[in-house]
Amino acid sequence: MPSHEKADAQLIDLLRKRDAEGLAAAYDRYGRIAYSLFLRITRDQSASEDLVQELFIRLWNRGREFDASKGTLGVWILSIARNMAIDHVRSAQARLAGRSCSIELIDKLSMSAHSADPESIIDRARSVDAGFRNLNANEKRVLELAYFEGLSQSEIAARLKEPLGTVKSWTRSALGRMRRAIQGASAQESGNS
Amino acid sequence: MSHPEMDELYELYVLNALDRDDAFQIDAHLEDDCAHCQEGIRAALQTTAALSVLADPAEPTKDLRRRTLSSIKPPARSRPWLVAIAGLSAACAALVVFSLWSATRMQQMRDQVSVLRGERNELRSAIELLTRSDTRTVQFGQTEETPHGRVLISSTGGVVFVGMQLPALDRDKRFELWLIPAKGAPEPAGMFRPNTSGESVHISSVPAERSTMAVAVTIEPWAGSPAPTTKPFLVVPLG
Ligand SMILES: [Zn+2]
Repeated sequence: MPSHEKADAQLIDLLRKRDAEGLAAAYDRYGRIAYSLFLRITRDQSASEDLVQELFIRLWNRGREFDASKGTLGVWILSIARNMAIDHVRSAQARLAGRSCSIELIDKLSMSAHSADPESIIDRARSVDAGFRNLNANEKRVLELAYFEGLSQSEIAARLKEPLGTVKSWTRSALGRMRRAIQGASAQESGNS
Repeated sequence: MSHPEMDELYELYVLNALDRDDAFQIDAHLEDDCAHCQEGIRAALQTTAALSVLADPAEPTKDLRRRTLSSIKPPARSRPWLVAIAGLSAACAALVVFSLWSATRMQQMRDQVSVLRGERNELRSAIELLTRSDTRTVQFGQTEETPHGRVLISSTGGVVFVGMQLPALDRDKRFELWLIPAKGAPEPAGMFRPNTSGESVHISSVPAERSTMAVAVTIEPWAGSPAPTTKPFLVVPLG
């Protein structure tokens, strides 16, 4: 990402003022990754386009509620996007067992997510990729099923025909390793700056 | 569940990838406003949001940028509405058109479109269920002024509950749908809230056993309950 792009905190400032520039800049920063995520989850180009529009309209409508001091626009956009996409592909089943973390809660908590590091998610893509490459094949598989297909632990176990305990331990180690890769990267970046 | 155990589960929780029991334990605990866990969830959202970069990069069209940005600018407001309206079912579209009369309601309308789009997807699932050969349809309610609607139920496909004139709920409450078997405990079939007009279309893919005698609706805490905690305000016998 070119360094002249506005930081999330500046975008939030503009969105709070209901300045359309802010939305354009947010789109330029996150539109592509959100679209890629929608496409990966829905496998449907026209649905993905609808979802992108819906996402940014939602962002525009919520703009005032963001806190520029937190600077976590990316966390909100990508958390809501992933949730919308999973809802889209699983609309009939989505209310099944265990699906209780609502989009409203994600909305609320991601708006006030960490302020520790000003780096946007996109700036950390390389560490995320590297972290993922270091996972073993089973860890990659369970992480993809949970993240991109929205499967629960027991659904993954059924899909892979593996014991639930095994799936849980693969998922735990996959997420633990990704957590360290992502948080480690942000700690390093703030250390360098 | 202890904090060290929960600390490992926040990512799965925000991804809605936990099984019911674990998710409910965390839900229940979060209702106590635990600062430690809220912090844990915020950190988890950072991790899960970052995973989005693992999606293969794809390039949206330039036109999508134009359409998206023009949808929030006053001079070009009508166009995305037409697009949205075209995609919605006739009933939903009527609501949208009605509300377009009032410019001051534009803001609310945008939020409603997201909701309606979700409802459209639900209607699609409902239509799929309607075409199954084992689907039974039962109407309920005596008058237009009291709760009424219909239940579509399939032993292979699940249940669709269409309700109108449903009572308004407190903010922290939702309806829970139950399948009542001939023998044994009611089985939970999902949570839902009515829209501001008291309407709701709720789809559950919990397969209804042939022995399901009735469906019932209770008012429950937001996270739902494994067994009804209030007297059902609605019981629809299927026989
Ligand atoms: Zn706690």
